[in-house]
Amino acid sequence: MNRIVQALLYAAFAAVVGYFSLSPDYRYGDPDLATIKVSLSHATNRVEACVNLTPRQINERAMRGEPLAECPRERLPLTVELDIDGMRVLHTTAAPSGLWNDGPSSVYERLSVDPGTRTVTVRLRDSARSDGWDYEYSERVTLVAGRYFTITFRAESGGFAFR
Amino acid sequence: MSLIDWRDEFSVGVDPVDHEHRELIGLINGLDAAMGRGAEHAVVVEALGEIYARIAAHFALEEKVMRDARYAAYASHKQDHEVLLDELSDVIDSVDADGHYDREDLSRTLDRWFSDHFRTHDARLHRELS
Amino acid sequence: MAPIKRAMARAFNGVEGIFEYAFGQRNNPFVWLGALGWYFYWIVAASGVYLYIFFDTGITAAYASVEYMTRDQWYAAGIMRSLHRYASDALVIVVVLHLFREFAFDRLRGRRFFAWLTGVPLLAFIYVCGISGYWLVWDQLAQYIALATSEWLDTLPLFGEPIANNFLDNTALGGRFFTLMVFIHIFGPLFMLLLMWVHVQRHSQARVNPPRGLAAGTLLALLVLSLVYPAVSQPPADLDVIPAELGFDWFYLIAYPLLDVIPGGRLWLYLFAVFAVLAVLPWVPPAKRLPAARVNLDNCNGCTRCFDDCPFGAITMVPRTDGLAYDAQPLVNADNCTSCGICVGSCPTATPFRRAGPLRPGIELPHRTIAELRDEVVDATGRCAGRVRVVVFACDTSATDGLESDDTAIVRLPCAGMLPPSFVDFTLKRGHADGVMIAGCAEGDCHHRLGNGWTADRMARRRDPYLRRRVDTRRLLLSWLPAGAARRRRSAMSRFRATLGGLDDE
Repeated sequence: MNRIVQALLYAAFAAVVGYFSLSPDYRYGDPDLATIKVSLSHATNRVEACVNLTPRQINERAMRGEPLAECPRERLPLTVELDIDGMRVLHTTAAPSGLWNDGPSSVYERLSVDPGTRTVTVRLRDSARSDGWDYEYSERVTLVAGRYFTITFRAESGGFAFR
Repeated sequence: MSLIDWRDEFSVGVDPVDHEHRELIGLINGLDAAMGRGAEHAVVVEALGEIYARIAAHFALEEKVMRDARYAAYASHKQDHEVLLDELSDVIDSVDADGHYDREDLSRTLDRWFSDHFRTHDARLHRELS
Repeated sequence: MAPIKRAMARAFNGVEGIFEYAFGQRNNPFVWLGALGWYFYWIVAASGVYLYIFFDTGITAAYASVEYMTRDQWYAAGIMRSLHRYASDALVIVVVLHLFREFAFDRLRGRRFFAWLTGVPLLAFIYVCGISGYWLVWDQLAQYIALATSEWLDTLPLFGEPIANNFLDNTALGGRFFTLMVFIHIFGPLFMLLLMWVHVQRHSQARVNPPRGLAAGTLLALLVLSLVYPAVSQPPADLDVIPAELGFDWFYLIAYPLLDVIPGGRLWLYLFAVFAVLAVLPWVPPAKRLPAARVNLDNCNGCTRCFDDCPFGAITMVPRTDGLAYDAQPLVNADNCTSCGICVGSCPTATPFRRAGPLRPGIELPHRTIAELRDEVVDATGRCAGRVRVVVFACDTSATDGLESDDTAIVRLPCAGMLPPSFVDFTLKRGHADGVMIAGCAEGDCHHRLGNGWTADRMARRRDPYLRRRVDTRRLLLSWLPAGAARRRRSAMSRFRATLGGLDDE
């Protein structure tokens, strides 16, 4: 038994605990860049429209206590595009969630960009169209280094929101 | 005419313990009778070994009973057990080494031990347990 | 697998040498790693209770309450906070060392899988508890953790909407999510305590308390650390600001920077793979199945010594089945029995003195019987020549390299605890040898947990069955050494022989 070596070993233990509990620093963000966060969750249109039922079919369903409409649940994928000063920085497609592909589609992206005053354009497609966009928004904004710029979407509020 | 006759004072009042007391007395009496018939030396050594093993187990069980009952005189009773085992080991070794046995001496020793131990420590244990 | 374990074992032995020198064998922290884990858990829990009194749940109130504790009440709550953090970090150190050590010394295979397997989820819980704790401070580090963890969880198909949305910006975070974190941080450790209890279920007399010296020393070390280098918060969380330089607790957050280079989904895969590998290690490769201990009712009176001594709780006492006047008999659970033979060493009928019938004790190992052992001792010592003959009863784990010689007989046992003291008496008093060495593992580090301790107690006449008083214990050497210490054992043997030579001259 050697108490001095013991003390040294205890000190070493405490030193290791103390040091690695706060150091070395971890550099997460680059302080010279801004970050754009695009986060949308949106239920797209259904793949097929509801079936047209004859009045007699509707009647039969009513008597059997079944739903009065026949609407397939599956939804279309969601496509989102982002341009900064005319340059494409993001183009992504998100599948609907849920076991039967009937839930909302979600897009979540983080992009590091140079700060400054820029034209930010965002586009969204939630229907079956092959070209063109259902929602589009463009604005000249100031991207600040070390801060987030978030782009969200609410169909009820009329579309995109920048912050 | 057996060496040790069962006496009530050999009873501790606990069935397993009393059963073993009877069994041990039986073994000792059997050994005594065998020696009387002129048993071979090896047979006597083996019989002593059997008694040793049985007695060691018996003491272990008795000590468990005493511990469970929080017997006040546990320490001194256990010490007597250890002394008996020590002495029995010595007897076995000397009989084995000598190559022959002395019936009178051996029987007297076994009788004295067990009767003494039963009469004193075990009888006291019986009183405490009831 | 075996070469890996051997290499790791050698590494441990190397490091532990210094600790053995400083702390002594019995208090070597490396044989108390599990117990130290429990101990640090209690320190974390107790300090946590104190902190909880002053902690305010709420997005802005949380940070403020922690600042109050750290600065205004630095002498009490502040120290508690530092102790809480540092003891948690210390916990990670000892638990990781513990799992490497148990693996290196092969204490996880065969019927011993239970402790290892239950340790795997325990490891996961330690991390969940620790990480959720950092969240509660709601400083920039917490913000980073919240962001990184939620984004990482979002790569699993668990949630309809990304939970990272909760941390989108300062308007997004609700107090409700915060309450969830507090819940996790309190009930996580409670559930962890249950897992800890399960973890030691198959160990009788589980060592969950470190020796007083180690307890005092580690607490003192952590306290001094808390005073000299108090735990502090980083700037308050602001979800609109990107956290840049962060003071990182590498003990708990070591995997997080990987998220910068590996996609989250792939990192989950790696993590699950690691835990899956850990979980199957007890069966890779499968341990050789040795027969379990077997009870011989003819020679058993239910004295319960084997039941008292079994280190793995493999023996229970059940009502008698053979009709004899005894109350109970031992029942061996073959699933828990590691075939160590400690029960045999405890049995009063396991004596080498020849008997009327076959030499069968009340309980024995079918593949290593007492009769066999007796014959082997007689044979091996019979072949010894020389003035000072020594027989070494060596456990399978201990090193005996270089001990072989004309005047030394070596008899191997699965564990030193299998040796009935009557064998020592028999060997010495019948003149089979002039000295007996019992070679086993280092104190506190018996491969079968309790064997060397029980043996020492039996030979010192502290534990049944007592060594006979007539045995001259100067002719008995108990050599407890780490597994690889062959050189130290050879030195011990030389010194022993010198002592024995002196005794013979008397």
